[in-house]
Amino acid sequence: MNDTSKTINFDHVSIERSGSTIIRDLSVALPDQRVGIIGRNGSGKSTLVRSLNGLLPVSAGSLLVHGVSAEEGAKKLARVTGFVFQNPDHQLIFPTALEELSFGLRQIGVGKADAKVQSLALLRDHGIEQLGERPVHELSEGQKQLICILAVLIMEPKLLVLDEPFSSLDLRTRVALRRKLEKLDQQILFVSHELDALSDYDKVLWIEDGKLKQFGVPADVLAAYQAHELSGVDLHFEGVARA
Amino acid sequence: MISLYMAGNSWAHKLPARVKLIFLFVLSLLIIPFNTLWFSAALLVFVVALYATLGRQGLEKVKVVRPLLWMMGIIFLVHVFLGDIEQGIIAVLRLLAMVLLANFISITTHMEALMDAVEPLFRPLRVFGISPRRVSLAVALVIRFVPVLLAVYASLQEAYKARTAHANSWRLLAPFALHAIKMTDHVAEALTARGGADGFDRDKK
Repeated sequence: MNDTSKTINFDHVSIERSGSTIIRDLSVALPDQRVGIIGRNGSGKSTLVRSLNGLLPVSAGSLLVHGVSAEEGAKKLARVTGFVFQNPDHQLIFPTALEELSFGLRQIGVGKADAKVQSLALLRDHGIEQLGERPVHELSEGQKQLICILAVLIMEPKLLVLDEPFSSLDLRTRVALRRKLEKLDQQILFVSHELDALSDYDKVLWIEDGKLKQFGVPADVLAAYQAHELSGVDLHFEGVARA
Repeated sequence: MISLYMAGNSWAHKLPARVKLIFLFVLSLLIIPFNTLWFSAALLVFVVALYATLGRQGLEKVKVVRPLLWMMGIIFLVHVFLGDIEQGIIAVLRLLAMVLLANFISITTHMEALMDAVEPLFRPLRVFGISPRRVSLAVALVIRFVPVLLAVYASLQEAYKARTAHANSWRLLAPFALHAIKMTDHVAEALTARGGADGFDRDKK
């Protein structure tokens, strides 16, 4: 059996969102360090990963994230799972990067002065100390997303969930941020439509209609996904045109 | 008129937030008894001089009052209409000085320091079950999201202009409100993801 302290375990999990069941009876164990999640828009990817942080409750089955059970409550899950959202403008709460990072530390009980010192140190480690005092709305999209990631990492989560965080970034910035992610010790769950970005991952999870379609090494799952999604594309549009 | 924090390390940045706020409070009381032209003018000169001590970039920030000038104009005209030109000038000078002084504090003070400074004032709200931390967080959110909402409105204007050749319409108000409400959902989610308004350690108590 896998070491449960470093594993995500979905056991017959169902998740509801605004009254309808989005994820239905899903079971999978994810002990791997780097896991990609793929699937169509509306397939339930975002719903699935939101349960890991406690943003959405599990309506049936049991969920275990790095030794924390979903039954222990949303806050316990939020403490082990860091979550990076698609749009940094929705995630950055404070006017400057330094305050954004300090906020996370103060959330976990670090004193004000220490929080500032540690936040500055983390910015310095990433070579962006000079951004600390700048108003966040003046930063580039890539810089904003990096601040979002650091603001989550500073709280030392065991699992980092990224829900299509690079979809509005240019290629260069995406690659730079991906390299930063590669170096992290945390387990990473990366929801993405950029299939090539997931080819180096340990495993890929394919979600369709709220169910597990396929789980395995990227070479297999990505190829199967591409073949499945691209066959019948023309047909699909013919259907649209007639309708 | 909300101009954001200006990065820097000046004397004004180093001054504790509480001292700055008390100074603003005392000055805003002082202008009531000292109701003369020279005092109001001197006050405005003094406040502009404060900006000048921050250097050229600081002096630039005086422009923040520009969108308010038409309002000042109306206030002045009302006084002229009532036959008291001197009072009109005093009123305008005072308003400019106080707005600039308040703005001076917001560009030289970290949001967090400002929050900590005003938090004690919200303590009486505890009686009603409102945590002072939440109130000060709300203040920070307002300041953070004003530029974001302005950007949302600008993009709506752009989309409207692309199809109608008009830059503005009352029709944009409803979609703007919907965008803003949708955004509050996202922000609330992001806040919850990091432990919510009350944080993690506070649960244990």
